[in-house]
Amino acid sequence: MSRGDIRLEGLVKRYGDVLAVDGIDLHVPPGEFFTMLGPSGCGKTTTLRMIAGFERPDEGEILLDGSDMSNTPPHKRDVNTVFQSYALFTHMTVEENVAFGLRYRKVSKSEVASRVKKVMEMVQIGELGQRRPSELSGGQQQRVALARALVLEAPVLLLDEPLGALDARLRLDLQVELKRIQEQLEVSFIYVTHDQDEALTMSDRVAVMKGGRIEQCDAPQKLYEEPDTAFVANFLGSANLLSVTARASGAGCELSLGNFTLKSDSAPEQAGVGTAMIRPEYVKLEPQGSDAENRIPGMVEEVVYMGFHQDVRVRLANGDLIRADVPSDGEGEEYEQGNAVSVYLRAANLRVLDDEPSGEPEPADGQPADQQS
Amino acid sequence: MSSASLRNPWGKPRFLAGVTWVYIIWSLLPVLLAIRFAFNDGRSRTTLQGWSTRWFFGDSAFSVFGDPTLQDALTHSLLLAGLAMLIATPLGILLAIGLQRWRGRGSGPSNVIALLPLVTPELVFAVGLFLLFTTALATIGLGTTAQVIGHVTFSMSFVVVIVRGRLITVGPDVEEAAADLGAPPLAVIWRILLPLLAPAIAASLLIVFALSIDDFVVSQYLASGADTTTVPMRIYAQARAAPTPALNALATLMLLITLMALGLAYLVFKFFTRGEKGGSAIEQIASIDSGGGR
Repeated sequence: MSRGDIRLEGLVKRYGDVLAVDGIDLHVPPGEFFTMLGPSGCGKTTTLRMIAGFERPDEGEILLDGSDMSNTPPHKRDVNTVFQSYALFTHMTVEENVAFGLRYRKVSKSEVASRVKKVMEMVQIGELGQRRPSELSGGQQQRVALARALVLEAPVLLLDEPLGALDARLRLDLQVELKRIQEQLEVSFIYVTHDQDEALTMSDRVAVMKGGRIEQCDAPQKLYEEPDTAFVANFLGSANLLSVTARASGAGCELSLGNFTLKSDSAPEQAGVGTAMIRPEYVKLEPQGSDAENRIPGMVEEVVYMGFHQDVRVRLANGDLIRADVPSDGEGEEYEQGNAVSVYLRAANLRVLDDEPSGEPEPADGQPADQQS
Repeated sequence: MSSASLRNPWGKPRFLAGVTWVYIIWSLLPVLLAIRFAFNDGRSRTTLQGWSTRWFFGDSAFSVFGDPTLQDALTHSLLLAGLAMLIATPLGILLAIGLQRWRGRGSGPSNVIALLPLVTPELVFAVGLFLLFTTALATIGLGTTAQVIGHVTFSMSFVVVIVRGRLITVGPDVEEAAADLGAPPLAVIWRILLPLLAPAIAASLLIVFALSIDDFVVSQYLASGADTTTVPMRIYAQARAAPTPALNALATLMLLITLMALGLAYLVFKFFTRGEKGGSAIEQIASIDSGGGR
């Protein structure tokens, strides 16, 4: 399991004046499910295409198992790609599609047959061999594309939003299956997506990208629980962002939010004006009057019913709007517009971000800057 | 689907249907009349005189297959069309692929220039070629070679349009996928690109054939004498001298050949693109066909 180590060093790609990829360094150890996550135009696909060899980097190196391949043409690289569009060869049968790459390897006919059969069974298209791609459903076509890439047994598989064109339910099924295949084959997957759920459920590590750079690269849980920046906090799940002034205090820090003082367990890199973040599910609503630590009075401004939970928007006494996820479990309090409440922001869940104070626009009033996609 | 959403739920569009039918009948009537007189038993091209096939085979001196000048014209037309087809198609394919891939400065203007022959008045184009072959390229001179070059030049634009349409449908991903799976550049072209272009190539071959065999102006200007006379030229000349229904018979044969070429192009395109989504085949052939009546 020593093959499949990908290392990018100072990768830069320009299109004219546009800097698509702006100095990316990353290391994917063998057998890792690594995801590049970001909005469109963040450089994730360009990075993947450079690893595949479809684009030539302007600067930097791409190392596969220690040797630079940034000047190797795609057909000589030991990586294979699954395209968002599937890119199946419509003039060939499914079996011919899957066997295509083996023609360019020194592989005997009988081995071709057995490898094609094996991989087609693995992705559960064993009985579709004689069909044409145009006769298959989207999910089946994606499986063919996957089989076609897997049959070559390259140590690295690149996947460019492979589930992007499928409907939600099918996408969930295939997520589970992709993860199973990746673990079974022990190959490195480099996966590109703009879908946070895909990134969180499948990946060993996720790099959140923005403007051609990696914003933060960590395990999914760490990314979600401990985002470094407002961008990451917003891109993965939704987040309440509060403009605060921080000063160190013990192991954590003290935050001033308007006239209120909050405690946070996180230790910011520097004191001063900054942004604090708390996930809506950690915002607890208590009856009015509680004035214990980290409580701020507020008034319910809007309640949105979301099925298994309610999205309660509370106007804090300092003017900020904060969202609280209240589970619809039949036990909790029912909230209505105009209710006076006390908002509890737990110190353990209140996190001070590393953003430059001027970096992100703060939701001083109006809607919290959140994003659920 | 779009036609369903456009349908008026309150009644059938009788007026529009009427206009359409009037147009269809009006545009077909002269053709049908011309065909009718090809089978006239008499010598007249204006008075109905029974039915016969004498102007096709029967008459030893004046029928299409009796009059050597008509036969020569037919042979020459087929020769020009065959050569134009075999030369313009490969060149047009290369040009289309080149234009499709060329990004950056100059790609915009060259795109326009490559398609310019589609809209240039044919007479202007023909006069230009005539000047070229009588002065700068006098070594080639007028004649069959000049006619072939002329036909290739104007029909290549049509090939470019058809092949580029197909290239866009196919998309760049399949070529990248093939390379990614280990196919060297030449293998990508032979095993992926050309097979996927097959419907466009077949359609191009037949449409160039149809364009060339229909052409009058370029053939006329670049002709050098009796042995470079094409069918349309022959018909035009004889119609002014001593017309017989044999001209109608010849025109009918030409119409048949052209229709067969276009019909075959359509069928081949449909065959190769069977199962693919979208009506691109029909649209492409239709757009080319309407452009073909220059």
